Amino acid sequence: MTEIQFGLSTCQVEGEIVPVAEINLGRGDSIFFEHHVMLWKDDHTPMSVMPLQGGVKRALAGMPFIISVAHGPGRIAFSRDATGELVVLPLHPGMELDVREHAFLLASHHISYSYIRIKGLRNILFGGQGMFMDRFVTAGEPGLLMLHGYGNVFERVLQPGESIIIEPGAFLYKDASVTMNIETQKLTSGFFGGTGMNLARMTGPGRIGIQSMYVHHHTD
Amino acid sequence: MIEQPAQPQRTHKCPWCGHISDGKQLSCTACGATIDARAVITDSGWSEMPGRKDMAKLQMGNSFCQIEGTYVPVADFNLAPGDGVYFAHHLLLWKDPQVNITTMSLKGGWKRLLSGLPLVMTQAAGPGHIAFSRDAPGEMIALPLQHGQSVDVREHIFMVASANIAYDWFQTGVWFVTRSGDETETHYPLGNFMDRFSAPQGPGLLLLHAAGNAFVRYLNPGQSILVKPTSLLFKDPSVQCQLHLEYPAGTWRSWSSWGERYLWLRLYGPGRVAVQSAYEHFHDNGRDIRRHSDATSQQW
Repeated sequence: MTEIQFGLSTCQVEGEIVPVAEINLGRGDSIFFEHHVMLWKDDHTPMSVMPLQGGVKRALAGMPFIISVAHGPGRIAFSRDATGELVVLPLHPGMELDVREHAFLLASHHISYSYIRIKGLRNILFGGQGMFMDRFVTAGEPGLLMLHGYGNVFERVLQPGESIIIEPGAFLYKDASVTMNIETQKLTSGFFGGTGMNLARMTGPGRIGIQSMYVHHHTD
Repeated sequence: MIEQPAQPQRTHKCPWCGHISDGKQLSCTACGATIDARAVITDSGWSEMPGRKDMAKLQMGNSFCQIEGTYVPVADFNLAPGDGVYFAHHLLLWKDPQVNITTMSLKGGWKRLLSGLPLVMTQAAGPGHIAFSRDAPGEMIALPLQHGQSVDVREHIFMVASANIAYDWFQTGVWFVTRSGDETETHYPLGNFMDRFSAPQGPGLLLLHAAGNAFVRYLNPGQSILVKPTSLLFKDPSVQCQLHLEYPAGTWRSWSSWGERYLWLRLYGPGRVAVQSAYEHFHDNGRDIRRHSDATSQQW
């Protein structure tokens, strides 16, 4: 059982198959999350919703996409619905991290949240009508960010100009300084025209996190 | 000749199931928990289940059950002559050819559906080996029931029970009705029915499957906790269930009547409750709730 401290709050992580994050929120602390990840809570832990930047309609399985907030003092616990790992990412002041849509489990109130719409990558990275990537930014204070990755999660640090090619479905998070470009790999087979394979080129400097169990997207 | 003092009788009470053994085995013979494992309890009182190592061996009557594997564990029974188990038919993994399997004739109770298919309850009689597993990563929870003890289990969590365990079911009584125009819909966040297993004639063994990890805690009399309805694994019959509707601050209800709300299951002590960490999301259509079973609500 791992214990993590942030602000006046503590977080315990337990379980190896589908881990649970149990938070004891201190007075004045709060965390935000997508509401479907809640597992249990104390009666008296106050709840609110976060007003999001308007205009863009995001939906999760046909439901309006709403970020919920739990306030201290009180206890609340979270888990996702699939086998994987909880990635604990303490963010230092002045950090910017981009995260795969719906992969974040929770973040402390010290972190500001926004999302960006990436038009070029639609149908490639996530399928569906375009794609969003969550962006988490810290200003003057450190914050705690927890992600859920399917399967196992691996991180590597890219040097400036260094790049790796990854299967888009494996992408989990990256520093904002890492750029992402989709490349089509032609695969020829004998006399026939062959097929293409879409891969993501990630170029440093910065961290890149991948998950080992991912959604495979069919190529055209 | 000096007389040797008599060795004090060593006894071990299992922190998980209360079974008292001589403490000479490495694991509890009733539930398989490791003898030297201290129950790891989180700050809020939950313990991760099972406190068991791989290949733990449990005893029931003259038969044995060995649980092996860590991602999708398998329960491997070695049934003695005269002993038997019953199980949901889709959980059978393998068996010895001589182990005879028959369907169970039960009045009414098993006529329930499992994702649209009839749930056939089958029984196997010893002697011989028979093994069971579920098709999802998770934990195998061994619940030994003492003589006279009962436990309530949410639908489709049950795997295998020894033949002397009695089965019954009851309506959960947790529901709500939504309405949109002329369309009304009744929802059962906990399922319409719940299974009750008891050991009226003597001790027995019950095996459950938890998706992901499983956690258990004890609620004191009058103490309550809110859990996601679909995360509930089992509870003592003394624990009462109720619907709880929570409306976070900062939401408003628009013309389409969508208002952000959280549906919870309130569990009242005294008794044990257990949850699983991977649970299907209960889809709330967000429509107006017209009627509901006894419920508490909170507007922040």
